[in-house]
Amino acid sequence: MLPFASSGSKVTPRHHVSGYSNGYPRGGTFELSPHRFQPRGTTPSFRRRRRLFVRLGIVAAICVLFYMFVRPGGGSLFSLFSLGLLSSGDDFQLETVRYYDLSNVQGTAQGWQREERILLCVPLRDAESHLAMFFSHLRNFTYPHHLIDLAFLVSDSKDRTLEVLVENLEKIQADEDDLQHYGEISIIEKDFGQKVNQDVESRHGFAAQASRRKLMAQARNWLLSAALRPYHSWVYWRDVDVETAPFTILEDLMRHNKDVIVPNVWRPLPDWLGGEQPYDLNSWQESETALALADTLDEDAVIVEGYAEYATWRPHLAYLRDPYGDPDMEMEIDGVGGVSILAKAKVFRYGVHFPAFSFEKHAETEGFGKMARKMEFSVVGLPHYTIWHLYEPSVDDIKHMEVSQTTQPLEYNWSHQPNSWQQMEQEKLLHEQEEKQKAEKARKMKESFGDTASQWEKDKNEMQNIAFQEKKKQASSESKKSEKSEKAEKPVVKPQTEERKEGRKEAVEEIGRKRKGGGSREKSEER
Amino acid sequence: MARPMGPVRLKKTNPLTLLIGAALCIFILYFLLGSSAPDFSAARKATAASHPLSPPTSPFRQSSSGGKLKPPPVTRYNLNNVTITNTPIENRENVLVLTPMARFYQGYWDNLLQLTYPHELITLGFILPKNKEGNAAYAELDKQITKTQKYGPEKDRFKSIIILRQDFDPPLVSQDEAERHKMQNQKPRRAAMAKARNSLLFTTLGPDTSWVLWLDADVIETPPSLIQDLAFHNKPLIAPNCFQKFYNSEKKKMDERPYDFNNWQDSPTALKLGESLGPDDILLEGYHDMPTYRTLMAYMAEDGGDVHYEIPLDGVGGTALLVKADVHRDGAMFPPFSFYHLIETEGFAKMARRLGWQATGLPNYKVFHYNE
Repeated sequence: MLPFASSGSKVTPRHHVSGYSNGYPRGGTFELSPHRFQPRGTTPSFRRRRRLFVRLGIVAAICVLFYMFVRPGGGSLFSLFSLGLLSSGDDFQLETVRYYDLSNVQGTAQGWQREERILLCVPLRDAESHLAMFFSHLRNFTYPHHLIDLAFLVSDSKDRTLEVLVENLEKIQADEDDLQHYGEISIIEKDFGQKVNQDVESRHGFAAQASRRKLMAQARNWLLSAALRPYHSWVYWRDVDVETAPFTILEDLMRHNKDVIVPNVWRPLPDWLGGEQPYDLNSWQESETALALADTLDEDAVIVEGYAEYATWRPHLAYLRDPYGDPDMEMEIDGVGGVSILAKAKVFRYGVHFPAFSFEKHAETEGFGKMARKMEFSVVGLPHYTIWHLYEPSVDDIKHMEVSQTTQPLEYNWSHQPNSWQQMEQEKLLHEQEEKQKAEKARKMKESFGDTASQWEKDKNEMQNIAFQEKKKQASSESKKSEKSEKAEKPVVKPQTEERKEGRKEAVEEIGRKRKGGGSREKSEER
Repeated sequence: MARPMGPVRLKKTNPLTLLIGAALCIFILYFLLGSSAPDFSAARKATAASHPLSPPTSPFRQSSSGGKLKPPPVTRYNLNNVTITNTPIENRENVLVLTPMARFYQGYWDNLLQLTYPHELITLGFILPKNKEGNAAYAELDKQITKTQKYGPEKDRFKSIIILRQDFDPPLVSQDEAERHKMQNQKPRRAAMAKARNSLLFTTLGPDTSWVLWLDADVIETPPSLIQDLAFHNKPLIAPNCFQKFYNSEKKKMDERPYDFNNWQDSPTALKLGESLGPDDILLEGYHDMPTYRTLMAYMAEDGGDVHYEIPLDGVGGTALLVKADVHRDGAMFPPFSFYHLIETEGFAKMARRLGWQATGLPNYKVFHYNE
């Protein structure tokens, strides 16, 4: 060891063992990298002053930010930050310009492959009790749900229609299964102040028809004009009280590639009324008689089908049904019923709507058919493709069922089927709880379809019978036109009615009731 | 020792620099936010829809997240609360301005921009044919829209803008004035026009619209308060008088002459003439070989007359027309077929009449048409 190495001398040995040779003095013995740049030491007072400045600065910044958050309209600051952090939408990304090419949404036969959007329109009024059934249909549609936009019009409802509707819809949109989710869902609320009573009897009274149908037309137009968008290729109108329809109905109707198309609408009946019955009489072909009749009426008159007051002798889609017929068979029609209409959106875009005035002596869906024809769109019905409307007993039916139950109670202990009908009517009369009604409906549905197989033969006979009678009817119509309406429709009455005690007299009443019941107005009004 | 100079810079940072930096940041933030006037953007954001599947009369918030869209929400619209009053600004009523466009006129756009009705309540709807002319018009329109909606001042920006393109079966043929006005060309031309108007109307009329203003693409000058002024009369359909400015070579100065002859009151002659026509024939106005003797609003204007003077009308033209949205919602549309021997806008007035809505005209309130 050299003596000067430990003496603290400022002179660095040139050939030191540790090999440092840069001329810098060695600090502590254990310094690892002694030759790093050593800044001039800051004085404590300077350091303190700087810390103070920094603290003041932070406080000031916090104050300013706080002020910006708190002051009114400061929400935009949040959005400014969230833009980067959460990448959620904000006003900097508001899309205000939309471009649509309407030639891409003309509607084709294979809409589901071309991702064509359908607008499903449902007018509702006091329809709470039917919603459960409707939503079961909704879940089962095979057309891709995300391509279906739903639009509901809730008008003048006194029950919980709106609440139940919202509840159900939100449940669908929150469903775990992505395939259940629908597209845009709009609920339009609008009260038209309809004065007309909605019970079955007053709904089908002849006098009330014209103004009622104009009001309903108005409601449909409001719904459509608020919900139709430039991206819709098809519009499907569906009443809420369709009891049974094929899940594939949208594709089935679309496949025909017609501008306006409707299926046949029937309804099941209790056995003692004949098991089933044509329901929608608003789908018909124009007849010479009706055109002549139209000429005699004044400008605001509305011809409503299915009433003795206007005997039109039109061929109805409903009566042409053959249970064994080809479901793809088409028939040109002029008036359409509103229970289930599939139309290309371009029909509505070009201006066809549901006239809320007397258009060529027709209003609402019938006027819609007429207007579509006027604008040279194709309007067809499918006589052998049938959907089933809910059966709601009239006051007379309920009375009859009451009577037969009290007079023949034993019969119902043995025969299961009539029993269920009886029970249902009673419950309705007694205003029993909704829950029970639903269960009954489900049961009724099952039953009315369980026995259809056995009905086919009977139906066929009846259809032939009807066809025969229609011919006769037409022949006689030449001479007797309007007076004879009552008799001509008689063949519709099923032989079963004879079981009734009052026999013939009641049968006549029955005809009247059926006629009234026949219109699709019954259901569409339901909302 | 990746950044050997790091400590050096830190050490030299002056607290004053930090302060200035902070102040600058706040300054920039302030201007970033201040540039979009907070009142407007708040109002706009409130009306924006959260999903692209929504009424096009409102803007929607774009989702920048690349992930899957959430299913659209259940949206309720209460149409009982949509007011239609004679004080539309106070009641924040939405106006839909609809324009079928075959040619773009800069004057039209400039006139739109100078309307004093709050722009955040105005939605514009255009329909253009899909042909060469339409493409050219669209290109120019799009340029102006981008300029206004993206870079224009907040108060100029419209609530939303909808552009539709469509082929028309008989394509909207040449828009030359002479060709366009030939009588035999009128029915197919006006039928195609009616379909265009209906397509535009029924796809854009959303659930929150109170008024619909029909304004032709060649109307280049209106009073800035057009919408308020017309709404003030609180009529279901109201039409100002459409004139055209031209250079009068006799008087050697600019003059004006009546342009739109489709605003009229019916005459017994016209009604009788109508009865003699076939069911699909139409009556036209302003052609010498078909004298109808109708009272034309175009000739009822008086110099210096009261601009609020109202007259009832039986037929309206579409150059400028303010309609309560309820009239259209009830179903009143532009018939592309012969409706009581009337077609398009004239048929519209008749259809509205059948639904119980009466048209009104303002003979002394003028708007001006482009002069070709």
